[in-house]
Amino acid sequence: MREHADLLKKRKKNTAAIGLLALAVLVLAVVCLMVGVSRLTVGECFAAIAKKGSAANIRIIWNIRLPRVLAAIIAGAGLSVAGLVMQTDLNNPMASPSTLGVSNAAVFGANLSIIVFAGGFLSTGNNLTNYTSGINPYAASLMAFVFSTVSILMILGLCRLRAFQPGVVVLAGIALGSVWTAATTILQFYATDVGLSAAVVWSFGDLGRAKYRTDLIMAIVVLMGIGFFSAMSWKLNALLSGDAAAKSMGVHVDRLRFWTMLFASIITAVCVSTLGIIGFVGIICPHVTKKLLGQDHRVSIPASALSGSILLLLADTLSRSIGKGSALPVGAITSLLGAPFFLAIIFGRKGEHD
Amino acid sequence: MLEIQDLRSRYGKRSPAVLDGLELTLQDGQIGVVLGKNGSGKTTLFKNILGIKKPDSGSILFDGEDLLKMSRSARARRVAYVPQSIHFGALSVFDTVLMGRVSYFGFKAGKEDEEAVWRILRDMQLEAFAARNVEQLSGGERQKIAIARALAQEPRLLVFDEPTGNLDVANEQLIIEEARRVSREKGIAILTSLHDFNQALELGDRFFFLRDGRIRHSGGAEIVTEDVIREIFDAEVRVVEIEGKKIIVNGGKKT
Repeated sequence: MREHADLLKKRKKNTAAIGLLALAVLVLAVVCLMVGVSRLTVGECFAAIAKKGSAANIRIIWNIRLPRVLAAIIAGAGLSVAGLVMQTDLNNPMASPSTLGVSNAAVFGANLSIIVFAGGFLSTGNNLTNYTSGINPYAASLMAFVFSTVSILMILGLCRLRAFQPGVVVLAGIALGSVWTAATTILQFYATDVGLSAAVVWSFGDLGRAKYRTDLIMAIVVLMGIGFFSAMSWKLNALLSGDAAAKSMGVHVDRLRFWTMLFASIITAVCVSTLGIIGFVGIICPHVTKKLLGQDHRVSIPASALSGSILLLLADTLSRSIGKGSALPVGAITSLLGAPFFLAIIFGRKGEHD
Repeated sequence: MLEIQDLRSRYGKRSPAVLDGLELTLQDGQIGVVLGKNGSGKTTLFKNILGIKKPDSGSILFDGEDLLKMSRSARARRVAYVPQSIHFGALSVFDTVLMGRVSYFGFKAGKEDEEAVWRILRDMQLEAFAARNVEQLSGGERQKIAIARALAQEPRLLVFDEPTGNLDVANEQLIIEEARRVSREKGIAILTSLHDFNQALELGDRFFFLRDGRIRHSGGAEIVTEDVIREIFDAEVRVVEIEGKKIIVNGGKKT
């Protein structure tokens, strides 16, 4: 029947779109491995991956570029999906991983560690001058994670009192976020020059900090999150019709909102505390995906994840190509790259799903 | 059969009760119309039946089972809702209706769920819309999709909040007819609220006049009288009969 065929065609189109995005991630990943201060050809690149070819190339690929490419793929996917879920949960297109003040809390945690405890003066990956002194290179990340988790639990605990009304969650997030920012400002006011600059550099999102170990932690959290969100696809779809309608269809709206917000926040916390602030991915990627492919979470979750990876890979490639030897902060590039594209999508040709 | 006993419900401990000992009975397959002023508690009543809001006391029985003690999905398989203001996400019509079956399939829709959706779409002559984006449809069409989604829950009772609120005359008629058809053909009871007395008379089997949190009058079309309307709405109307049909006209008798 024609109607069945139409629907089937639409579904095939969505599957094809996801396949295409996945392919784009793979291609970009290879490009990302090739580009840098020392340019490799495709052949050299694959040879190095197979641990053949010059020792220098093998070291460049395995020790420097691969962990950062993996980080781009994983963190891009995680931040983007976290944004998508928060937008659905809060019924707010502007909701993003920073809505709950997660990033602000992470910055405070890292600042506290760097400024007060002189811990974790990280190598920024920009240059090899490593002014690590502190106790542990992971101290700043660890503190960032602890504070963002505390912040999440505070928000979700507070919002439980108000049955998770989306408006309340957003306002509480903004309020708590500004408390963290204020506290950070006070810390920075009393910081030494070195501490201050280290703290500021920390907050620039930088994929160069990625190590295999941190990649693995991020991968576990992000994959678990995507798996969980995918299982909740239909319930999240129901939430698009509003709380009352979703409840009447048998969805435990409060519970759904609590757990998906918690997961989305934890993904954000892990990514931000290992890599620093990488803004805008969580707004632009879900938005573009929804505009082009619709809001069905069965499609938008994988599509947002892949487009997040793409944006971060692109941004990283660019940041290493124009930085003349040192990579520009990728967080700045995502916005520089993303915002014009975002504006073009918003004001340009109307998407199919308008 | 829906039996509501001594239902009390308020928003917040210090606010006055919106429903204050409400009693209501609706038989299987009947269409009940709740009539009352704005703010008289119609939507609160519906929210309580649907489990969207917990009542402070009282019971809501459906076929002898306590709706308030049921799991959400068990309740969703008995009672479905067509909200007053309808918005969906940017989904296909098919997927929007399929969503109504989430209380049956939970995580992943099966073949029988998809077949059920095709059946409903065919019944309502919506098949041609299946692949369309639901957000691009007109108000009347969306209202029909919302009914289709509610039917996908295979409910015994349909709660229909102001079905004609945002529609033009042609669509109003369409939705009233659709509601009647659903009730007659599938034996589904409908509880609805309408502002237009004539639409109410056209659609309803039973009428419930709600004021100050209680049903003041209930019964068949015979109870829709000038006196009752004056008491409940503080408004003057005239009841006239044209070709054996009861018509309510605004404005009182000239004295």
